[in-house]
Amino acid sequence: MPYHEFDCSKCIPERKKHAVVKGPEDDLTKALPLGYLNTIPGSISERGCAYCGAKHVIGTPMKDVIHISHGPTGCTYDTWQTKRYISDNDNFQLKRTFATDVKEKHIVFGAEKLLKENIIEAFRAFPEIKRMTIYQTCATALIGDDIDAIAQEVMDEMPDVDIFVCNSPGFGGPSQSGGHHKINIAWINQKVGNVEPVITSDYVINYVGEYNIQGDQEIMLDFFRRMGIQVLSTFTGNGSYDELRSMHRAHLNVLECARSAEYICNELRVRYGIPRLDIDGFGFEPLASSLRKVGRFFGIEERAEKIIEEESARWKPELDWYKERLTGKKICLWPGGSKLWHWANVIHEEMGLDVVSVYTKFGHQGDMEKGIARCEVGALAIDDPNELEGLEAMYKLKPDIILTGKRPGEVAKKIRVPYLNAHAYHNGPYKGFEGWVRFARDIYNAIYSPIHQLSYLDISKDEIPDDGGFKTQRMYSDATLPEAVKTSSAMREYTGKYDIIAELRKREYPEFNKKQ
Amino acid sequence: MPDINEKVAQLENFIMKKCLWQFHSRAWDRKRQNENILGMTAKLLCGEEVDTSKPEDKCYWVDASYLAENYRERFDWFSTMSNDEIKELMQALRERIDFVTVDGSLNEELKDPRY
Amino acid sequence: MNCELKTKERSGVINPIFTCQPAGAQFASIGIKECIGIVHGGQGCVMFVRLLISQHFKESFEIASSSVHEDGAVFGALNRVEEAVDVLLMRYPDVKVIPIITTCSTEVIGDDVDGVIIKLNEELLSTKYAGREVHLIPIHCPSFVGSMVTGYDTAVKDFVAYFAEKGEPNGKINLLTGWVNPGDVTELKHLLSEMEIDATVLFEIESFDSPLMPDGNFVSHGNTTIADLRDTANAYGTYALNRYEGTKAAKYLENKFSIPAIIGPTPIGIRNTDTFLKNLKRMTGKPIPESLVRERGKALDALTDLVHMFLADKKVAIYGNPDLVIGLAEFCLDLEMKPKLLILGDDNVTYGDDPRIKALQENVDYDMEIVMNGDLWELENRIVNEGLELDLILGHSKGRFVAIDHNIPMVRVGFPTYDRAGMYRYPVVGYGGATWLAEQMANALFADMEYKKNKEWVLNMW
Repeated sequence: MPYHEFDCSKCIPERKKHAVVKGPEDDLTKALPLGYLNTIPGSISERGCAYCGAKHVIGTPMKDVIHISHGPTGCTYDTWQTKRYISDNDNFQLKRTFATDVKEKHIVFGAEKLLKENIIEAFRAFPEIKRMTIYQTCATALIGDDIDAIAQEVMDEMPDVDIFVCNSPGFGGPSQSGGHHKINIAWINQKVGNVEPVITSDYVINYVGEYNIQGDQEIMLDFFRRMGIQVLSTFTGNGSYDELRSMHRAHLNVLECARSAEYICNELRVRYGIPRLDIDGFGFEPLASSLRKVGRFFGIEERAEKIIEEESARWKPELDWYKERLTGKKICLWPGGSKLWHWANVIHEEMGLDVVSVYTKFGHQGDMEKGIARCEVGALAIDDPNELEGLEAMYKLKPDIILTGKRPGEVAKKIRVPYLNAHAYHNGPYKGFEGWVRFARDIYNAIYSPIHQLSYLDISKDEIPDDGGFKTQRMYSDATLPEAVKTSSAMREYTGKYDIIAELRKREYPEFNKKQ
Repeated sequence: MPDINEKVAQLENFIMKKCLWQFHSRAWDRKRQNENILGMTAKLLCGEEVDTSKPEDKCYWVDASYLAENYRERFDWFSTMSNDEIKELMQALRERIDFVTVDGSLNEELKDPRY
Repeated sequence: MNCELKTKERSGVINPIFTCQPAGAQFASIGIKECIGIVHGGQGCVMFVRLLISQHFKESFEIASSSVHEDGAVFGALNRVEEAVDVLLMRYPDVKVIPIITTCSTEVIGDDVDGVIIKLNEELLSTKYAGREVHLIPIHCPSFVGSMVTGYDTAVKDFVAYFAEKGEPNGKINLLTGWVNPGDVTELKHLLSEMEIDATVLFEIESFDSPLMPDGNFVSHGNTTIADLRDTANAYGTYALNRYEGTKAAKYLENKFSIPAIIGPTPIGIRNTDTFLKNLKRMTGKPIPESLVRERGKALDALTDLVHMFLADKKVAIYGNPDLVIGLAEFCLDLEMKPKLLILGDDNVTYGDDPRIKALQENVDYDMEIVMNGDLWELENRIVNEGLELDLILGHSKGRFVAIDHNIPMVRVGFPTYDRAGMYRYPVVGYGGATWLAEQMANALFADMEYKKNKEWVLNMW
């Protein structure tokens, strides 16, 4: 597994150990990219900061909370409305963001009084909300405001409110991952064990590392509820502050994004003896195995089987339709930290796509171990990629599609590589059986977009084809398919609705009698 | 019939592609996971009882039983092996997984004393 | 009699209208050709601003970070600037202009950016990069001062002050557009061209609307050159369209090179565009041509179809960049509409001195509030708790939920407008902008009438 040196990065030799190509005879002990190291200044890396990792990624998906950033307004403004983590309380946390608006005089004289005024104002503006998180920023970390003391002071004066403080300034660590870590540890230290939950089932889990992007959490919650499992809390998508204070009473931690939330699972295991079960919510087989495992843990595997059977029967013919048309297409999995390994193997097996590259913006070496382990031989793995390396990789690998963030997706567009939003999704949710089909559908539509095909034509030089006034995706995708596949009645295109979450929220669940 | 090295490679490949339990974040956790999950898998493959009375053991068993089932289903050579051979194979697998994920791992965070 | 200028009473911000200074400086920097800025601070200060700009334009722009981490915050991070300059220059051979944009963290720790630039000029640039044209420009943008608007204003001035160099008179004017869209620049250049006026436009950002080409070009970038910036010292006048976004540079050129400056008014609406042309005529001696009379006539024709029947008395709230908000309010008044609430999103204490605001205070004959240092809660709270009734909201996308949750039609205008397609392509300035804006407003009201079945049958006959 040799290191891969980018031409554009020859002048910064320390980059060489941040990329490898998975070789046919190699294993993870032969080469592994370095990871989670300080970013090279000026390299135009895609990384964010530890403040956003704490506030924006993990804190803000909590839905019934006033999220205040203690600092100038920019930190909260810039991170606000850049994600698609929804909630079932009309998206309170998406719609509201709060900043203490620290100014020069506060930098000089301190901003603690300002913070206290802000806390009181915010609770006054939203009297129905009694919970708050406060996030330190670079400026207030450097002037040394004691946020914890102010929060305690307010809690003493206002007994019906509860406040969580996260001290994770932007400069704290090489990337947003530093903030994931800090908020995990801060939450378990400050809040877990504070609330005793009402236990309504014999089977109680925390669902951890899930952020309800376009409704992913609600899809999974639906499965758990159909199995009669009580989801005590979700850390943190669509999650409730008080439920997250009662995490210590779960029987099992079901962990999805280990990158952002394994810390709290590890601590819950050590402190409260709650086991950690890592799962995959993406893809039919991994999801089925995950549901089986959770069912098996509680001795209710047959309930999982029933769901798997129903869902597979409903959606497998649609997944297969796309697999026939995506097989052999080259894909770069270039997400943030965890989706490279969630997707690397199953996207190959169930959609037929060849993963030619994985990268992680803010992941650690552990994420690369998982990602490289799961992708096929020949894939290029890049840690903390930068603008020029991404371009060089795309020119070299010529992927049919890349899965990445919004802005890098615009770069890809310009060199005519279609992109799908790996963080926010195009038309998610992507978790669940139906979600996985939606994912396949989005990939298919991107790859076979007629407009995309037009971008290859140079009307000043090329012969302009005289083949009609339109094309459809099918005209491209089915051109070389065998007749039997084209006309197969065992497979069909996606038939679901645009919004599949609204229906779920109205759903009623069977009563399972509690044994204990 | 593949030799033991080929078998280990096939079993390892399945773990690498399909499982996540072997990649906990610290060396001691990986050793513990490998020991318990692969230990239980070996027992299950040999038809032996495993104790799942404690929650942590039940969690190991969940991953172990998944592994054992898939191994039996995917690798038909298991049916021709004696229990002693299975134990020898699983011991070799365990050593291999320990090597790949811990002892030979290049992951510099494994030794970080804190989570 | 009833226009009240006030300041938000709360100390904090709920749903901000503006981001902070470094974002403004970054926005200015991408207008310059062969320029990649380095933001000296944490990585989020760049990553999210690039995302914000990308959301608005559906393009990607290059801006670098010095990636200050914990050690830098404790011991000083000037070494990160030195490394960033070197890495950037090595990997981007075309880059000539590198603004070093500070942030709150590096201002608080007191990093001497001006000093490190002197050092870099003496050492790195004169050895490793000897013979290469490189300009390092410090731009101080503590986030706890001003807003993105002042950051933009400061950056424009810093760029001009760095480059402007007295030479032969160039027979041009300097046109400082302020924080606008490519569509605005196209419209402004069109007006200048009709007047046969040659101008140095800061900044040439029409190229932000960049094409998808068969050869796969990938960089979206502005086209203002170093030569353009140098030549600003040789114009016979500077026209800063926006009082708060470009005035510093105009004043600098006036003081330093005696180039007369005209500041505003922002040419939004017919009347302000008329003034713009009058000022151009005064500055250049060029007549206003028949073609613009016709263009103005077409705009008036379009507006006349809308005003009495549909727009009159419609109550509007407007928020965003101050010149934009004031210009829109003035235009709405001309359209017989009633701006009820204007929100200016930073603590600039000079808004009260703005003659346009004074004129509103003197002449508006119904209740209007102008809130300074405001946020979007000033808008929403009035709707939810104080009975403010609105027919229309004008503002950028960050306020979208106010419109959505309270069923108020909204026209997206300003920066950023990521929740509507292609807004950056259209002007709000000039006669073209006036027509486009009025028709957008009318169409938003029409769609709302139909959606709510509120006299939707009126449009049966128009």
